[in-house]
Amino acid sequence: MKTLPIFRRLQPLLAVVLALMLVAVPLYVARTAPADHTEVPSTGIVCTTNDSATFTLTAREGYIGMTDGNTIYMWGYAEGKDDFQYPGPILCVNQGDTVTIVLHNALSEPTSMVFPGQSNVLANNLPAQPQFDTSGQLISLTNMAPPGGSITYRFVASEPGTYVYESGTNAAIQTQMGLIGAFIVRPSMGENYAYNRADTEFNPDTEYILMLSEIDPMLHQAVERGQPFDMRQYKARYFLINGRTFPDTLAPNHASWLPTQPYGALARIHPYDPVANPLPALSRYVGFGVDVYPFHPHAFNGRIIARDGRLLQGPASEDLSYEKFSINVGPGQTIDSLFSWTDVYGWKPSGPQIPVTLPSDQNLTIGAYWGSAYLGTQETLPTGVVSFNQCGEFYHIAHNHALQQITGWGVTLIGQVTFTRIDPPLPNNCP
Amino acid sequence: MSRKILSRRDFLKIGSGLLAAAAGAKFMPKWLSQSGEVALAAGLRAPTVDPDLYLVGTDGWAYLPGQVPIPGTVGQYYNPDSLAPAPFTTYMFGFADTTGLAEPLVHSRRMKCQISAPIFWVDQGQEYYVKLGNLGLQMRPDLVDSHTLHWHGFRNAWPVFDGEPHSSIAVPINSHVTLYYKPLDPGTYMYHCHFEETEHVHMGMTGAVFVRPSQNGTPIGGFTKFAYNDGDGSTGYDREFALTLTDVWAEAHWDDAHIQLPDWTSFKADYHLLNGRVYPDTIAPAGLGTNPLTGDLIPAPGYEYLQYQPISSLIKINAGERALLRFINLTFGQQAMTLPGIKMKVVGKDATLLRGRDGTDLSYETNTIYFGSGQTTDVIITAPNVTSLKKYLLYNRNYDRMSNGDGSGYGGQMTEVWVYPAGTLPPQTTPNT
Repeated sequence: MKTLPIFRRLQPLLAVVLALMLVAVPLYVARTAPADHTEVPSTGIVCTTNDSATFTLTAREGYIGMTDGNTIYMWGYAEGKDDFQYPGPILCVNQGDTVTIVLHNALSEPTSMVFPGQSNVLANNLPAQPQFDTSGQLISLTNMAPPGGSITYRFVASEPGTYVYESGTNAAIQTQMGLIGAFIVRPSMGENYAYNRADTEFNPDTEYILMLSEIDPMLHQAVERGQPFDMRQYKARYFLINGRTFPDTLAPNHASWLPTQPYGALARIHPYDPVANPLPALSRYVGFGVDVYPFHPHAFNGRIIARDGRLLQGPASEDLSYEKFSINVGPGQTIDSLFSWTDVYGWKPSGPQIPVTLPSDQNLTIGAYWGSAYLGTQETLPTGVVSFNQCGEFYHIAHNHALQQITGWGVTLIGQVTFTRIDPPLPNNCP
Repeated sequence: MSRKILSRRDFLKIGSGLLAAAAGAKFMPKWLSQSGEVALAAGLRAPTVDPDLYLVGTDGWAYLPGQVPIPGTVGQYYNPDSLAPAPFTTYMFGFADTTGLAEPLVHSRRMKCQISAPIFWVDQGQEYYVKLGNLGLQMRPDLVDSHTLHWHGFRNAWPVFDGEPHSSIAVPINSHVTLYYKPLDPGTYMYHCHFEETEHVHMGMTGAVFVRPSQNGTPIGGFTKFAYNDGDGSTGYDREFALTLTDVWAEAHWDDAHIQLPDWTSFKADYHLLNGRVYPDTIAPAGLGTNPLTGDLIPAPGYEYLQYQPISSLIKINAGERALLRFINLTFGQQAMTLPGIKMKVVGKDATLLRGRDGTDLSYETNTIYFGSGQTTDVIITAPNVTSLKKYLLYNRNYDRMSNGDGSGYGGQMTEVWVYPAGTLPPQTTPNT
C-alpha cells in the first residue's frame, strides 16, 4: 500500500537505527557490552560460554520494543543477575562437556527448563521427570523451581549441534511469554565445524543464528494484568527474529537502544573465493513458534546439513544433505544451513558491464540499501533518495515467505525480515 | 429512496476531479493521463536488446465462484465484489504478457492482468531478457506503487536483477526496465513482484518459471526431456505441467478495491487456487492466447469468465508415459497436494536435484507433497496402463481448503489427471497442454 510505508511511518526510527549503525558501530562495543562480554562482534552469533559449562539463569520479567512503537511485557531468561533479555542467552558448550544450569525463579509462578535433544538430564541430581500432583494430574513437563526458588539441571552434551532450551511449566504461556533460548554444542572436531564431518566446516567469522518466534500481544497483556488467557484465542500479531522485529533485526548485537533485545540478525559475508574466502557461512535456524516458518533467503540456496541437532548422514556416512531456497523451520525444531554467494558474472563499471541499459535514475524507484548495479561501487543518487549503503556493498533480503508474517499487527514489513550483506572482496573501503 | 453515503472511493473521484481542474491537463500526474505514451519521457534510454518476454504490472478482475459475505452486513459480499464488472468477481493485481505488441496495445492491457502470470522457461546457460513495465493501478489512482520481478530462488543473483525493492531498483508507473538472466541451475522456480510484497503477491502478481537442463536433447533412458542433469534419465519425462498454488483472502482483495487496508496478520484464505483458478474451473480449457489486434486475451468459447485466468491445470497423459509435475507454493501456508492412485516420485526440491554431494539418491515416492510457502517440488508420475480413459484426482488434502467461498462442495486446489490408452494423445509441445 503506497510507496514503502515502512520508510514513511518508520523513517525517524529507521534513520536513528541506521545512523547509529553506520556511525557508532565501532564505538558501541566498549560502551554497551557487559563486563563479561569482553568483545561482541556487531554481527554474527554471540555465545555465552565459560570453561566449566556452568550457567546461572534467572527467569524474570521485562519489556521489549516492537518497531511499530508498541512495548510488550515479557518473561525471559537473564544471565546471572543481569537484566531481563529476550530470547535467553545463547549457551555454547563443547561436545562432551558436563553442562550445569542453575535456574533461579524470579517469577510469580513455578517454572522449569526442558532440553530437547539431550539425554539423561538431571534435576537437582535426580533424573528429570514430568511432574504430577497428588491426584495424578500433569502439572509440569519437568521438575520445577517454585517462585523465589531455584533448581539445578545437569547433563552431558554428548552430541554436537543446534538445540533449544525452554520452559516446561505452563509451557504454552511461558514459552510465548519468552522463556526460550538456543543451546549450541561444538563438535569435538573443533569449533569451525558444525558437526563431526569435514564438509560441515564453516567460516567462523560468518556464523549466524535465526531464532524465529512470534507474539500475541493480547496474551502478554493478560499475563501482565494477572488475568487468565484462553489459548484457543491465541493469535500471533508480531513475528520476530532473535527477539526483534524488522528493521531492528539489522541493528548490531547489544545495540544500546535495544537493551533487552541483544541479538541482531544481519548476516555479513564476502563473495566466495577459492583462495581468499573458501568456506561457507553457517545459519542456525531455530523455530519457537507454533507452526512452520518457511524462511527464504534471497540469492542463495541453503544446504541443509542437519536437523534438530543431528547430521543428515547415512549409516555409511552417505551425504543426505540437500539444498533449499525456502527453509521450513517447525515448532521447537532447528535447521543448520551452509551458504555462500558467488560473483558468477564479474560485472564491473570498467567492463564487462551489466548487459542492459538501465533507465535514468528519475525513471526508477531506488531502494534504500542500493549503492549501484556494481559490487563495490556507489553511484551518485538523485536528490531526495535516502541511501544506507556504505561502500557499494550488496544486500539481499532474507524473510519468512508466509508473507502475512512479515507484517505486524497492521503495519507492513515489520515482521520476520533481515538482510544478508555482501561486502566487496577484501581489501575494500567498507567500515 | 436510499440515502447515498459518500464512500472513500467517491471522495477519491472528487479529489481527482479537483486536482485535474486545478492543475490543468498538462500538469496531470502520469497515472491520470489517458495515454501512457505521454509518460514515456525523455531520459528513458532504450534497452540494448529486444526482450524475450515483455511483462507489465497492472490491476484487473478475475472470476471466483461462491460468496463470501461481509460480516455484520446483509446481502453484501467481499466476493463477488460489488464493483466487479460481470462476469468477474474479484479485484486483482497481476502481470500481463505484452511481448511483441505495439506500444499502444501494451497500454491497452491496463486493468487486464493475467492470473496466474504467464509461465516462462529458460534453457540452462541461455541469456534471457525480460522487459518489465508498470501501467499503474487503474482502480487505485491514489496508489503510486512501483513493481518488480523477483525470480525467487535464483542463485547468486545480483541485486540489480533481484527485484527486492530495498536492495534493488523498482519500476515506477509508466517506466520500464529490462532484466537480464543467465540461469545456471536447472529446476522449478517462481516469480513474483516484491514491491509491497505481502499485498502484491497476495493480489496475484505470481507465476511459474523454470530452467531446462543442458542435458535436454540427449537421449538418456528413452527420454530427451529432463527435470535435471541427472546423467541417468531418472528425471526424464514426456509431458510437463506447472502447478502454481496461490490463495485469495476475499476481504483483502475487496479492501484494495474499496480503498481499505487489511491487518495481514488476520489473514485467512477463502479461495485456494491452482494456476489462478479453483476446481472445477481448473480443468476448463486454456485460453486461446493474445489477440494481436487488440492485445487482449482470448477466452475459450463458453469460458468468457475465465478470460484473464487462461492457464489450465488439466493433466492429460497416455498410459505408460511419464509426466513432470512442477509444484510451486505461492500461498501463505503449508499445503498438502495428494494424488491417490498414482505414486508420485519426488526428484527435486527448490530447483535442486535430490542428491547428496556424494551422489546419494535422496529421491522418494509418496502420495502427498507437503510443502511450505516459497517452495517448489518436482514430481515424476508414470501413467498406469489403461484401456479406456481413466480419471484421477489431484487435490489439497488440507480439507478445510477444499471448498470455494461458501464452504460447501468440491473446489479449491484440485485438478484431474486423465490417463488415455497408449498412443491416444500426440506429443506435448507446450507445458500444461
